[in-house]
Amino acid sequence: MPELSAKEQERYSRQIGPGVLTLEGQLCLKRSTALVARAGGVGGPAATVLVMAGVGRVIIAHGGRLASPDLNRQVLGSEEGLGQPRAEGFAQRLRSLNRFVAVEAVDHELDDQEALALARQADVILSCAPSFAERMRLNQAAIAAGVPLVDAAQWGMSGSLVVVRPRQTACLACLYPQQPEFEELFPVVGGISSALGSLAGLEAIKILARTGEPMYGRLWSIDAYHARTSIVHLRRNPHCACCGSENPEAEAQS
Amino acid sequence: MNVSLTMTGRGYPAAEGLPANLTLADGATLDEALQALAALVPAGKAPDGNCLVAVSGRHLGTVRDHQPHVLRSGDELLLMAPMAGG
Repeated sequence: MPELSAKEQERYSRQIGPGVLTLEGQLCLKRSTALVARAGGVGGPAATVLVMAGVGRVIIAHGGRLASPDLNRQVLGSEEGLGQPRAEGFAQRLRSLNRFVAVEAVDHELDDQEALALARQADVILSCAPSFAERMRLNQAAIAAGVPLVDAAQWGMSGSLVVVRPRQTACLACLYPQQPEFEELFPVVGGISSALGSLAGLEAIKILARTGEPMYGRLWSIDAYHARTSIVHLRRNPHCACCGSENPEAEAQS
Repeated sequence: MNVSLTMTGRGYPAAEGLPANLTLADGATLDEALQALAALVPAGKAPDGNCLVAVSGRHLGTVRDHQPHVLRSGDELLLMAPMAGG
């Protein structure tokens, strides 16, 4: 069983204390694995938060090469990285933040089998993908593996955060029974991406460290454009194709 | 009665110029509120059927498929158009 070294305790000393993490919670983080699918505008800050907090193993999945329009929000990128594969470049940046964390990179979008295989290795999944198809794939993998899912989404200066406890609270397919058509290239300002990514990372830390009250079963809508925020208590769909208790196919997979 | 209106997510600029409150008959339903809203927005800008619908923090489904609900004065009607990460 891994213990926290004196150097690690020093590193994390500012986050261990009343109302934050206990020493045991910090150890839970060290023993944990987080899967961050897409490490761009949202997932990059999320992965950063996890690595800096001391989650023992962080797996990022991100395909493609860094392009100039990415740099308005993808905080793990840099001018020097333009044209380079994103996954390994982002992983190197994350490794430079914390020597006590193992960062692994997958250099492409996960398919169904890969998502499920990695979900089974993970203690939490952070869905930060720009397409509904990929978000639903991660949702399906999380439900099948019984792993909590933190989903963050954005548009313009607005965003949402949903935390799913498989088969206990509403999943993404409960919210969107029909997958919406959605353009992958949409307007967004990096400030909202980073805010949502950081909050997604914080939810994952609470889950992994067993501290605070994770936002299970709720949706946090943040409309920074109009400076408004709302909490929505989500309704689980008993007929959900993914997690529905009254859906024979979904039940058979549980 | 008045129901406050929040439209967020993809396409929130379409909500510019809309009143902050919908004025409805007492006992109006969610469907009646959505019809009143559709009459206020420009042609082609009506909320997408996949918009998530919530009333005063309670999730009721999507614009296309939601639970019936009777509104009360002071309720907040939230419509959140689909968004994604990236």
